[in-house]
Amino acid sequence: MGRFLTIDDVTKVFPLKDGGHYIALKDIDLEIKEGEFVSLIGHSGCGKSTLLNLLAGLTQASSGGILIDGREVKEPGPDRMVVFQNYSLLPWQTVRQNVALAVNSVMASSPVAERKQIIDRSIKMVGLSHAADKVPAELSGGMKQRVAIARALSIRPRLLLLDEPFGALDALTRGNLQQQLMQICQEAGVTTVMVTHDVDEALLLSDRVVMMTNGPEAEIGQILNVPFARPRQRLEVIEHPDYYHLRGELIGFLHQQRRLRQHRSSVAAAAGVVAASGVVAATGIDGRQGDANALPPARKQGPRRPETIRLGFLPGLDIAPLAVALDQSLFDGAAIEVVPVPFARWDRLEAKLLEADLQVAITSATSPLALNLGLGGRTPWPAITPMTVSRNGNALCMARSLLAQGVRRRADLRQWLLNRGQPLTLAVPELGSMAELLLRHWLAAGGIDPDRQVRFTALSPMTMGGGLRTQQIDGFIAGRYRVAEAVEDRQGYVLATDLDIWSGHPEKVLTCSERWAEDHPGALDALGAGLMKAAERCDDGGQRPELIRILSQNQWLGRRAEIALQRQFDYGNDEKPQALLQFNRYHFDRAHIPNRAEGAWILSQFSRWGWCPFPSNRLELLGQVYRPDLCDRALAAAGYPSLRPDRHPFRLADDLPFDQDNPLDYLKALPGAPEPPVAPIPLPSLSARALLSR
Amino acid sequence: MSHSASATSLSQPTRRRLKNPVLRGVLPYVVCIGGFLLLWQALSLILGTGRLPGPINVITDTWDPYINQPFFDNGGTSKGLGWQILISLQRVALGYGLAAVVGIAIGGLLGLNRFIGKGFDPVIQVLRTVPPLAWFPISLMVFQNANTSAIFVIFITAIWPIIINTAVGIREIPEDYTNVSRVLRLRKSEYISNIVIPATVPYVFTGLRIAVGLAWLAIVAAEMLKADGGIGYFIWDAYNAGGDSSSSQIILAIIYVGLVGLALDRLVAWTGSKVAQGGH
Repeated sequence: MGRFLTIDDVTKVFPLKDGGHYIALKDIDLEIKEGEFVSLIGHSGCGKSTLLNLLAGLTQASSGGILIDGREVKEPGPDRMVVFQNYSLLPWQTVRQNVALAVNSVMASSPVAERKQIIDRSIKMVGLSHAADKVPAELSGGMKQRVAIARALSIRPRLLLLDEPFGALDALTRGNLQQQLMQICQEAGVTTVMVTHDVDEALLLSDRVVMMTNGPEAEIGQILNVPFARPRQRLEVIEHPDYYHLRGELIGFLHQQRRLRQHRSSVAAAAGVVAASGVVAATGIDGRQGDANALPPARKQGPRRPETIRLGFLPGLDIAPLAVALDQSLFDGAAIEVVPVPFARWDRLEAKLLEADLQVAITSATSPLALNLGLGGRTPWPAITPMTVSRNGNALCMARSLLAQGVRRRADLRQWLLNRGQPLTLAVPELGSMAELLLRHWLAAGGIDPDRQVRFTALSPMTMGGGLRTQQIDGFIAGRYRVAEAVEDRQGYVLATDLDIWSGHPEKVLTCSERWAEDHPGALDALGAGLMKAAERCDDGGQRPELIRILSQNQWLGRRAEIALQRQFDYGNDEKPQALLQFNRYHFDRAHIPNRAEGAWILSQFSRWGWCPFPSNRLELLGQVYRPDLCDRALAAAGYPSLRPDRHPFRLADDLPFDQDNPLDYLKALPGAPEPPVAPIPLPSLSARALLSR
Repeated sequence: MSHSASATSLSQPTRRRLKNPVLRGVLPYVVCIGGFLLLWQALSLILGTGRLPGPINVITDTWDPYINQPFFDNGGTSKGLGWQILISLQRVALGYGLAAVVGIAIGGLLGLNRFIGKGFDPVIQVLRTVPPLAWFPISLMVFQNANTSAIFVIFITAIWPIIINTAVGIREIPEDYTNVSRVLRLRKSEYISNIVIPATVPYVFTGLRIAVGLAWLAIVAAEMLKADGGIGYFIWDAYNAGGDSSSSQIILAIIYVGLVGLALDRLVAWTGSKVAQGGH
């Protein structure tokens, strides 16, 4: 039962009459096992039927490919039979003739008697022997559909494709046919892909339900496993204890997609521009579309002053792309003028962002979600993130006094804490930041209870070294630059880096208000493109001297920048420094993607530590906050190919797989984590958004 | 009192109509056609029966021999109206039959092959608008024979709607059916016999029905110009003879032409419905 059908990175683009194009499906990846029954579900226009036609070979993918048993699907064939929504029976032929046409043309080499037997058996299988000599016009809708199924199965296809097979039937007929189809498919052992918009039908028939997001650029939003044993009976399925939970997942997904669509269109309407996320004019992306107070169309074309973007940041190695982009003029000067605004404290930066004194900020990866959720008693604010700025780069730095007491590993720390009897005081740059989540996760994985055995305190990164010196704190987690300073000053040593916790985690992201992004698409694209070009240079080892020169300027890190950029990472624990590959990552390996799966992990941790209930509408929230579409636009503006996230579960250093389709199971599997409450989270409303972003 | 009175007055007209369903069925015809005949008779009285015979004159003038003996034959072109119509029908049958065969073949080709279909489209669009009689001189010059020329005129008039409708019918085959053939990988011959032909039949018969009307239109005109025998010839001959009953003969012939045209149209429509039975 290996993989039978592989849909590999399939994108389908339809040309439009006006010369533009419509991206119906984007980057679809799916593997289907032999004999599996998979349903595709989603709102109309989500590209379900397009995907089915691609599987049938009736249309071809614009990029990517579909493999069946290792061979590429290039044209339709009888090994993949389609049952169309409107039956597609030939009205001038009787039931028998319709089935015979398929059997006779596909099994032409078999003897006539055998073919006749197959035809009779197929008609009998769907219980239509009595109507074999009737033409379709004399049959009811349900009977026609049975003929279509009989025709499809008569030639023993390897893959059966059903396009809303029961959509046009009354409820009673539909129920009977579903039961029959299930039996037939099971007896024939045929792999089946069915498009439907009926949640119960999907649950009754499928082994897996693939939920598709709204088009354009529809993609797989979530995959649900349906664990009911086969053979199934409708009543048994409905009475199964998991049934309503699974049904709730499906309905919740569809609801969230609908709200997301309404939300997008209301934001776009408020901004006065067409939401063109999928429909990009043939002329490409206009890098000069934004304007300070948007947007009478007549003014879009004329020459304009570059738009000023005030961008807030905290100095650190993470903002290297910003420094490089400004130093080397990588921003499109005709479109934007970027004014970097340094801050010493994260809470000050966020306040300025909410006041719209800053248009954009480089924040912790957790900030966009935390702002939307209103964590820490704040008013929920509609932040979005169009790109990830940096990955990795944190280290946990402990006071050297602990090294003297033999604390070299996490286990040592645990033992030391048990003996000490009073909680550890650790500084984080910001409560609820990515650094804190990583630290908590790492501590918990090592048997240290972050809530009882540790006291977290927020300190400005600039004062953390001082905190160690004054013994105000026992240690801190911060970026490499601050840690290197403390090590250099012999105040601290490194107990763990985030390579020991989650290698490749998102660290800093670009954050702005949804409304600003909608109003200033050109400016945002130009900003993202400049940062991406700079990020590539930051990742290039050959540019290191140049990077040191730039970061050594006073407005960035100052003269000590060099110590943070040493090739060898000095742990300060008297052991030999090691080269840490990929410690700071800016560009390569799909670093820029605002990845919803990572967002789902962040949400799981928020609820793990009891900061908020786990959002039952997480996909809606993530879909609203994480904007890979904007990332793609910036990538295109910078001349890079578009990126897409991996749908496979990822693992942190504790090796527990995190599956974005099933975050609750992950939470349950974490050590000592009680099952968190699950509740819908109201998202910031449009009126509040409009007020705040003005 | 007033209540029951209003009830009767409301139900009365309904009851009266329901009483005589047969009368209700034929009443519109009787009234309208009767009115038309009366008007005609009145016009005839005003203009004088010499210029426009009334309906009664037409019947009395032509009763013997044209109405009561449709199939008399005095030799030469002096034949009953039945013969004349048969002569015309024979020509139509030849020209129209030829047009149907050639038209369906060409239309099929144009519909199946997009390249040829596109290339010939302008030619068809221009030629189909040419009035039937414009073809007559050139066909006389080519065939040197009035009878053949008349048949050719029928042919060239009737062929265009057949070609166009056949081609459109093939191009408009619902995608569902072509998808079925693509999935089953039907051979071209199977595709044509199982899908193209049945799906196109209704379109072809629409074309044939338009064509038969045009053909009948053209034959009468062609026979009036140059022919021996035929209903068109009869009309023109009666006019040239200039006798007392000429006007009545012409009017009678016109009525026959109309009736035959209607019959042809219904015949083709009926055949079409029989052939396409089970489909659509």
